[in-house]
Amino acid sequence: MAETVIQTKQLQKEFIRDEFHVVALKDVDITISRGEFVALMGPSGSGKSTLLHLIAAMDRPSGGEILVLGENLRTLSDRAIAHWRNAHIGFVFQSFNLIPVLSAVENVELPLKLTNLKKKERMEHAETALNLVGLGDRMHHLPRQLSGGQEQRVAIARAIVTDPDLILADEPTGNLDATSAQDVLTLLSRLNKEFGKTIVMVTHDPHAAHFATKSRHLEKGELLPEGQVPVDWTVPAKA
Amino acid sequence: MFRYVSLIVKNSLRNRRRSILTIGSIAVSLCILGVLIAMYRAMFQGMPTEAQALRLVCRNRVSLTQPIPIYFRDKIQRIPGVHDVMAWQWFGGVYKDSRDPNNMFPRFGVEPDHLFNVNTEFQLPDDQKLAFKNLRTGCVISRALADKLHFNLGDRITLVGDIFPVTLELKVVGIFNEPSNVDILYFNREYLREALPVDSSQRDTVGAFLIQADSPADVPRVAEAVDREFEATPFQTKSESEKAFTLSFLAFLGNLKLFIMAIFGAVTFTILLVSGNTISMSVRERIREVGILKTLGFTPGAILGIVLGESAVISIIGGAIGCLFAAGMCSMIAHSPGSMFMPALKTLGITPLVGLLSLGVALAIGVLSSFVPAWNASRTSILEALRFSG
Ligand SMILES: Nc1ncnc2c1ncn2[C@@H]1O[C@H](COP(=O)(O)OP(=O)(O)OP(=O)(O)O)[C@@H](O)[C@H]1O
Ligand SMILES: [Mg+2]
Repeated sequence: MAETVIQTKQLQKEFIRDEFHVVALKDVDITISRGEFVALMGPSGSGKSTLLHLIAAMDRPSGGEILVLGENLRTLSDRAIAHWRNAHIGFVFQSFNLIPVLSAVENVELPLKLTNLKKKERMEHAETALNLVGLGDRMHHLPRQLSGGQEQRVAIARAIVTDPDLILADEPTGNLDATSAQDVLTLLSRLNKEFGKTIVMVTHDPHAAHFATKSRHLEKGELLPEGQVPVDWTVPAKA
Repeated sequence: MFRYVSLIVKNSLRNRRRSILTIGSIAVSLCILGVLIAMYRAMFQGMPTEAQALRLVCRNRVSLTQPIPIYFRDKIQRIPGVHDVMAWQWFGGVYKDSRDPNNMFPRFGVEPDHLFNVNTEFQLPDDQKLAFKNLRTGCVISRALADKLHFNLGDRITLVGDIFPVTLELKVVGIFNEPSNVDILYFNREYLREALPVDSSQRDTVGAFLIQADSPADVPRVAEAVDREFEATPFQTKSESEKAFTLSFLAFLGNLKLFIMAIFGAVTFTILLVSGNTISMSVRERIREVGILKTLGFTPGAILGIVLGESAVISIIGGAIGCLFAAGMCSMIAHSPGSMFMPALKTLGITPLVGLLSLGVALAIGVLSSFVPAWNASRTSILEALRFSG
């Protein structure tokens, strides 16, 4: 039995603002083991991003338990969470979110600035990560000098440069054309297979989900049992 | 913090046009502020020299342009604490082409027997002192004036009177050194008196007396005693230390202190508000990046430091440029003809202290104007910050 990396029990998230009250996650029990590559699927508004944010401790649950890499996230202070996230989580966004004034290698170096590494070591790590994503020849390009697919690969390099245990990706191919999407998915799959990274990827795209080792579906804030898909689930036409 | 420097510098200069405008407006306001502080220091803070601390000026209470009788001189001399007294007459007049500001140096009718006793800081060889005492039409000039207009001993200087209906034909008999480097000419008041028509009331009056007290501590007492002495006469006097007099002389030219304060203050304040607003706008615009940094594990404290650091970079650059311009302006003012009215202006300059003060003000502007937006940014939750599309 592989080590459990993520475990939630009756995880609950509500958004309350003024009069309106949204239950984004309802009693979610999910267990993800080391080495898994899980595709998190479901219709828009079903709570996929919300679950990913709770796992990354970018937001706090309203109820239930959440244990990630053995840490009870509900008991950590904000400061401790920041350090924890820097050390253990790599996050990839749909919209890349690179810092526009920094070159590719400087963007990748950014999370290492919070570590004790010296400048030279930081650069070496950043270069290694960029080589791994196949952008060794674009080190000093600014984000605007890169294509969308290249930007996303820089973002992935930034996510893995600290050698995190867990990579979380929220629709990483959502803004990409088919070819670039294929590259990014192949890369994630490699990180999972060759480097043993645990990955949770939110996606709408069943094709993308094929790269994962397992798919889980959310519907209206509830996690469907493993292997089950929503009743009205139809494979969306490929864009 | 040190490892964030490159990020801070790159970020602060990212929007080039806005950075230049912000730096520019801070530079302009700091330039004005620097000159203001320098002027204030030169005029109102400068310590009187040892010799100056002993001197008082006694003049007509009504205004500087109103004369006082010359016979007051002996009465003042008898007041306890008075060491020496000298009649001191401003002679306006015209030298050569008055349109050339170099020709507008101040000239005073004085008493040669007292000039160098009262102004102990003036240095002149004894034979030249003697020549000034002996030659009724003689005059002595400062080294600065001699250098500027290339006067030598024996040169003739003709002054055509305006306040006084006379023309003075003077001969340079002495060139004295003095520390404040002013342009100035002194001639024998007796020569002026004799040149005036016999029935002229100007013969028996004088513009002011320069009094030398026994000690600096006697100055306030002497001032009071002198003014009390003439309280009951039609010519009430106003006596004050030379330093205070120089300032009131300026006040007489126009209320300079208030002028400096009001105009410069208003301009500076306005520009500060503008640059403060720009800085806080640029912080708000980049709130999304704050979300990215937080996702990577940056703590609120680090974010606060980075955002404040960016404003500090901008405002320090602006402040430094402003100080350079201020230094240029100060040296222009110091060399302008206007400075002859006020030796203090000759010392106008951005001293290290004034420079540091200005940079401090610039830093304070940057940090203060960005503190609230920076604080808010550092406290914004990750998701809220990331949702921000700026
Ligand atoms: N900050 C918020 N305030 C209020 N409601 C929110 C907030 N964030 C999410 N929600 C609500 O929670 C529910 C789940 O949102 P979430 O973003 O997790 O959906 P999603 O599955 O990621 O959808 P999508 O595929 O469109 O990205 C939605 O109904 C959404 O409106
Ligand atoms: Mg989503």
